[in-house]
This record gives sequence, structure tokens and C-alpha cells, in this order.
Amino acid sequence: MARVGVFVCFCGANIADYVDVPQVVEEVKRIKEVKFATEYKYMCSDPGQGMIRDAIVQYKLTSIVVAACSPRMHEKTFRKALSDAGMNPYLLEVANIREHSSWVHQKNKKAATDKAMDLCRMAVAKSIANEQLHEISVPVTKRALVIGGGIAGIQAALDIADARIPVVLVERSPSIGGKMAQLDETFPTLDCAQCILTPKMVDVASHPYIELIPYSEVIELQGFVGNYKVKIRKKASYVNFKTCTGCGACWQKCPVKVPNEYNMGIDKRKAIYTPFPQAVPNKPVIDAEHCTMLLKGKCGICAKVCDKGSIDYTMQDEIIEREIGAVVVATGYDMWDPKPYEEYGVGRFKDIITSLEFERMVSANGPTNGLPLRPSDGKVPKNVVFIKCVGSRDEAKGIEYCSKICCMYTTKHTILLHHKVHGSHAYVFYMDIRAAGKGYEEFVKKAQVDTGTTYLRGRVSKIYKKGDKLMVRGEDAQIGQVVEVEADLVVLATAVSAPKDNPDLARLLGISYDKYGYLSEAHPKLRPVETAKAGIFLAGCTQAPKDIPETVSQASACAAKVCGLFAGDTMKKDPMISTINNEYCSGCQNCLNVCPYGAIVTDDVPVGHGSKDLRTVAKINEGVCQGCGSCVAICRSMAINLAGFTDPQIINEIVSI
Amino acid sequence: MKKLTYFPGCSAHGTSEEFDSTLKLVLKTLDVELEDIPDWNCCGATSAHVMTENLAYALPMRNLVLAEKLENTTMGIACASCYQRMKVTKVHMDENPELAKRINSTVVEEGTYQGKVDVKSMLQYFYEDIGVEPIREKVKKSLAGLKVACYYGCLLTRPKNITNFDSPEYPVSMDQICEALGATATEFDYKTECCGASFSISNTEVVLNLSGQVLAMAKESGAHAIVVACPLCQSNLDMRQPDIEKQQGVKYDIPVFYITQLMALAFGHPIDQLKFPKHIVPVEGALANIGKVAPVPEKVKKPIKAVEAESEAK
Repeated sequence: MARVGVFVCFCGANIADYVDVPQVVEEVKRIKEVKFATEYKYMCSDPGQGMIRDAIVQYKLTSIVVAACSPRMHEKTFRKALSDAGMNPYLLEVANIREHSSWVHQKNKKAATDKAMDLCRMAVAKSIANEQLHEISVPVTKRALVIGGGIAGIQAALDIADARIPVVLVERSPSIGGKMAQLDETFPTLDCAQCILTPKMVDVASHPYIELIPYSEVIELQGFVGNYKVKIRKKASYVNFKTCTGCGACWQKCPVKVPNEYNMGIDKRKAIYTPFPQAVPNKPVIDAEHCTMLLKGKCGICAKVCDKGSIDYTMQDEIIEREIGAVVVATGYDMWDPKPYEEYGVGRFKDIITSLEFERMVSANGPTNGLPLRPSDGKVPKNVVFIKCVGSRDEAKGIEYCSKICCMYTTKHTILLHHKVHGSHAYVFYMDIRAAGKGYEEFVKKAQVDTGTTYLRGRVSKIYKKGDKLMVRGEDAQIGQVVEVEADLVVLATAVSAPKDNPDLARLLGISYDKYGYLSEAHPKLRPVETAKAGIFLAGCTQAPKDIPETVSQASACAAKVCGLFAGDTMKKDPMISTINNEYCSGCQNCLNVCPYGAIVTDDVPVGHGSKDLRTVAKINEGVCQGCGSCVAICRSMAINLAGFTDPQIINEIVSI
Repeated sequence: MKKLTYFPGCSAHGTSEEFDSTLKLVLKTLDVELEDIPDWNCCGATSAHVMTENLAYALPMRNLVLAEKLENTTMGIACASCYQRMKVTKVHMDENPELAKRINSTVVEEGTYQGKVDVKSMLQYFYEDIGVEPIREKVKKSLAGLKVACYYGCLLTRPKNITNFDSPEYPVSMDQICEALGATATEFDYKTECCGASFSISNTEVVLNLSGQVLAMAKESGAHAIVVACPLCQSNLDMRQPDIEKQQGVKYDIPVFYITQLMALAFGHPIDQLKFPKHIVPVEGALANIGKVAPVPEKVKKPIKAVEAESEAK
């Protein structure tokens, strides 16, 4: 005879305010198998767990039901409480009366209580049929994949590799470095971005534990935590990196000019190019969309001037595979396109530029030798208007969220303008100055005093042209008046937006993303770098907009998570997996088709005892099975059993309501 | 011959009579027959919608229901304000059938609202239903040499979710039509600024200020004339121009044409039918520019090598 203990949690007010918890306890006590039932304010706390441990011993319980929050939150916690009391942890059932009842039925306490009681009855009924299960050990491939070679990916790769764990770093563009490599100086200390980043880039290239695969994309991921297989498409670079010395003869002689992405299109690069002089690897690639030789079969100058013979116009994309145990996704961000701001004349007025364009111009290695210049006439601007929140915090034209970094980089830009152009004056239109961070508020205050920048609190409503000047009309909310500023150059602090390919990548990896396209963390506070899929972690802006210090912290956190995952030689895995009863299996192989993990293969077994004739049956790969239950549902012969979700358990649940 | 349901509105029979009559000339050339809505009524204009929501919807609703009795699927409206009231009503009724039922209950006699007639401003009708190219084909007398600032005002393209036509901030449909007529549309940043609208009567100072800015920017853009498709814009910019000049101490001398007047002119209709004497600001000075400049030849695309050589030289 089963002896079930039921523990109903208040979850502070989360459950108790909307569900009559004492009534639930009274109700479950009426079930004859329930030998003990109680309530407590925080069942997950130590005293709460203690109640469970004590009751197991005192009432000789054979299974436990905890009615509380989602099992995704605390199932592990309560399983451990069972183990500590000497009970098999899989004899636990969690009734989710928070997410499934109190939170979603806040307007009707009676209905919420009734539903909570139903959920408890089901859990009790199921737990009666629970069996003792034991964790499975699976081998681990101790190699990590890092997707994206910006500062997030670089930091994660270096930290993991420093723990002597091999890393495969895949970068889409020809060089690592990401957006940070495009920056001039960084707030709030004004370190030169190149000086702090490029040594790290070199470290990546020379690290014995890092395999850098540039100009490549991840195209497929199979398997499960500890045992993933990744397919990577190496784009044809048309340059043999093994023999190329990076001498530069090819790109100096190449006659084709293309807008330079690294400099935001302000100047031109060649069709064979390295993105910037400090690129890692410092080997050129041929841009197949613009190369005359690849397009029309004419030219071939780069091959002629290369004395190493490294140019190979016949090169094809190559698919390579790697076995890995964990993934760090660090795909960064895009700059939001300000086109919807038609009232600013975006696209019509040449002298309206984005912050990243301004950043490139004031960069020491930029296209204008560090001087901001008006794109219309190449003159040095005196009056520069910076407009913040272009796209950010704008539900009508842009995105609802705050991009977090614009207040700080705009402050930096006012300093850079002040340093580079003597006699210049900066105006900043802002909504709020958000300077939360170590040294940030001090940085903004000091910049305001040192540069004499005019800060105008209000939105800009219109920009129009008067002669060769731009007239910027906006509100100065502090004096309650409309003001107009005559500007030589207008710089838009455009929002940070999610990489546009993130949804595709998320589908490919099997992880989720939010409505903006940012990849979703497993828990916004307590699991900020994990995804809901085990073994896949997030670093940097691909998760949400953030600055460099925060990105680096998150990347290091990912590295710690990867190292933790790889700490043992094997990995424990939940025993909730499918098994096949060969007696019933007809060998129809429907289950092979529905298994999303490729965990089912075929096997040949004797037709009968001692028979030499063989027949085909399905066979589950324990390591690969994730216990989703698809095969159980499709099996016509009822030959498949999913541990923890057996037919008797499910039928018990259904019968109980 | 195409047919179009026509809602002239009150101004077409009064202050903007020249809009109405030239519109009819233009549509004749474009082979479109106008059918008036039988027994149409006032759109409610500004007065109704500041008083009560019911009235503001019910007046246009009656016109919409009556328009459904004709076979045409589109209603063309000359006045921008009438267009706005009619379109707002249509969009809100189509979005909210409950509301449509309630408002319809006040105009039961006319019939049941079905939402089958689309509402367009005449500008939108020219741009979308006729098209820029067919307009270009009808031009007999090019307006080349005339520089115009196309002024849309506040109602023809806004709000975007109601009008769903052109850009709310920097529209180009009228510019393209003027270019098709041979005129040059200037880069005019004030094309959707407010002219002061009906404050012309209750608070003229406001109009002198706002319309004054529009005139100044039109002049700044190098335009000889302003082109509009809204009776109130025309009356404010034209009729108040002498007062504005007096107040600012600047001589603008910019005539304000309806788009249909220029179309009729380019289509070769006799000048005495275009009602130019109704204008306060004389039009002759601006029209004298027509034909002064040879039409600009189409830009020849330079070979890539020449472009590169130029950029090298820089």
C-alpha cells in the first residue's frame, strides 16, 4: 500500500493570495493513500525541506508530492531533499499550482483553488505508480564551440582555453574583433579600444587550445549536452591561408573598389581585402560578389602579383564537422536603421550620420585620420548636435527598450569632438541620462564641465536644411519651449538591435529568442547566461544590449559554466528516457521518423527464443534520448515505455479527476 | 471610361471653386467620369468632432452609405478635411463592427453600412489609380522651367495608420506628378508643416506665423510657386500672403496653385478656364518661367572606370 506525503507551498503570497492553501491540504487528506499532508510558507527553504525529510522518516512515506511552483524551478531542490532522507529522488511529483493556477487565475480564488486541488489529486495519483529510477552516466566531449568572435566570444574562448579545454571559435567575417574593433576609445576610462582588444585577438590566434575558424558559419547542431556534433560551413576565401603571408601585394593591386564595411562605408576597400590592418587572422579573402575574376573570369591581377601562389579562384565552400560538449553563443548586435525617422530627413541629408559612423571618423585608424568631417562637403563641423534615443525607448518608430550604452558613448563622443575640433560646440538632445555603472556618472559630470556641452532635455521633432546648415528643432522641456539649433553635423545615437539572423540561429540551435530577436536566458536573474537547452550558453549583446565590462563578465561567466560542465569525465543525465519492449515491437520504424534527436536506431533480434532467424526492432540510444515521448505516442504496438511517464502513471492521473 | 464617385465638399462650391472646376477638366482629359453622391451632406469638419463623437461619425457615415448605392468602389474627395473625416470614419467603422452598427443606427433611412467603398483624396486617386506615367503621357505643354514647392499640409498623408498613403513626414506623390508635368519639384522640408488651418478666422496671428514659415522655406528652396491639394492650405498661403508680407517686411510673391490647375495647364486646357484671376497673389510672374529652361537631359550613367578615375583624382 502506497503511503504518500503532500506538501503544499504558499510561495509567500504568490500562491496563498489566490489559492486557499489550507483547503487544498484538507482536500488531499481525504485521499486514502495520503498519510501526511501539510502547508508551509516557503517549502523550498531549509525548514520547508526539513519538513519533507522528517515526514519521510516519521510516516514511512513511499512517494512525495510537492504542490508549489513549476518543476523547472525547484524539482531538483526537492529531489535532493528526498535523497537526503534516503529516498529515491524520482519518487517525487511536483504539482505546479503557481504558474498553472494562482498566477493565471488571480481574479477567481475559488476556481484557482479547485484547479490546485485537481492538480494535487493528479500528482498524488501519478506518484502512487512512480518507480525508483537511477541517473544515467554519459561520456562528455570536452571541447567547447564559441559562435562569434567579438569581445564576448574572444573572452569566453580565452577563459575556457586557459582552463586547458579545447575551443572551436567560429567567426562569420574574415577577422575576429567584432564591433569593439571599430571603436576608438572606450568609456568611462577612454582606453583605446584597439590597445586593449588587439592583444586579446592575437592571444586567440596563438592559443594552443583554440582552433580559430574565421569566415565560417555554423549550419547544423545535433546531439545533446556533452555530446553535440556541429557542422560548420567554411566560406571559400579563394586564398590559401597556409601559404599566404599577409604581405598585402594583392589588395594593393586589386582594381575593384567596394564600400568598406569596417569604416561604415565612408571609404572603399578592395575586392580582395582584410577588414582592417590589425585583423586576426591577417589574411585576405576575396569578396565573391565584387571580384571581376570570379564574376566575369577577367582580371586575375591578385594571382599574378602573389609570389606564394596562394590565390585559388576554384576554391569551394567546405563543410567541416566537430564534436563538442558545450556551446557559447556570442553573436553580438546590429545597429538599428534610423530610416523610419523621416522627420529628421534621414537618407536625404548627408550630414546626418549615425554614432558608429562618427566613431569611425574620430578613430585614429579611421577613414578621415581621426577628424570628424561633414559627408556633404568634407568640412570640419563646428556645431554638432547629438540626438539620443533614436529608435530606443520609442514605441511608435523604434523599439521599446533602452539600448543602455548610448548615453555613455554619446558623452564619450562629446569629449572626442572637444579634443579633435577646437572651437567646436556639442549639443545633446536627451530624454534621461542613464549613467548607472562604475565610474559612469562621474564620467558624464566631468565631460559636461570639461566640454561645455549644451544638454537639452527633449525630443527632436524636425530637422530641415537652411543653406548648408541643418536646423534641428526640438523641445527643451526644462524651459517648456521649442528650440532650434543650427548644426553643421547631426549624429544619431541609433538603438542597439538584435542581429537579424538570430531567429534562424536560435532555430538551428534549438533555443528560444524574444520578440526583438535577442536570445533568451533560462532565468532572468538566477540563470542569466544559460539557455533553456542544457550545454548552450549566452554571452554579450546577443542576449540583450550591454556595455563592454558587462559583456566581458558574462563571457567569463559562460567560461565558468563550461568548465563546470566539463569537470567530470562523465555527465549525469536524468533517467526519464524511453525503452523498447522487443516482444511488442513490430519493427514498423515509425518511431525513427518522429524522434527529433536521432536517438532511435534499428536492431536485429532472434524471432523467438533460441531461433536463428532474425527480425528488426527499434533500439534507443540511452545517451541521446531526451525523454520527449514522441516515440511513445506514435508507437502502434504500445512497445515503448517512457520512464517516469509510464502508462499506469498517466492513466492514474486521468482517472483521478 | 472610368467612373469615380465624387464628394466635392462645401469648399469646392465656394473658396476652392477653381480646384473643383480644374479637377473636372483634368479628369475629362484622363477619361474619368465623376458621379456625385446623391443628396450628400457636410462632412462635419472640425466642428462636429470637437462636439460629439457620434455626430463626427454619423455625418460621414451617411455619405459613405449613400456612396454605396452607386456602383463605383472608390470615392474621390477634393477637400483634405472632408477626406480626413470620411477616411477616419471608414477606418474606424471597418475596424470596429460594433461601433459601425451603433453609428449606423442613427442613419437608418439611408441603408446599412457595408464598407465596400474605398475613400481617397484626389491626390491619392491621381497617384494610385491613374498613375504618374499615364499623366505624363497626357502632357501637351511641358511646364519645364517652373520650380514648385509641393505642400501637402497636415491631413493628406497623416496619420499614417488612417491614410495609409505616401510618407507622413516627407511625401513625394505630388512632387512626382509635378515632375511628370515637366516642372521641377524643389527640396522642400516644410511640406508637411501646419499652415494654421482654421485658425485663419479665429486667431489669424497663428496663421500669419505658421503660413509665414512655410512661405519662407518655399522661397528658400528656390520655388517660383507652391502647389497644394487642400482648399484651406491654398486659402491660408494665398489669401494671407499680403498680411504675412506686411508683418515680416518681406516680399514673397509666391502664387499658390492647386495641383489640378497645373495639370490642366500642362494638359493643354485654355488658360482662361483655369480660374487664375481668383488668386490673390498674381500667377503671371511664376508662369513666365515656363519654357525658360530647356528640359534637363536624362542623366547618362558614367562608365565605372570614369567614376573610379574621378574618385582617384579626389
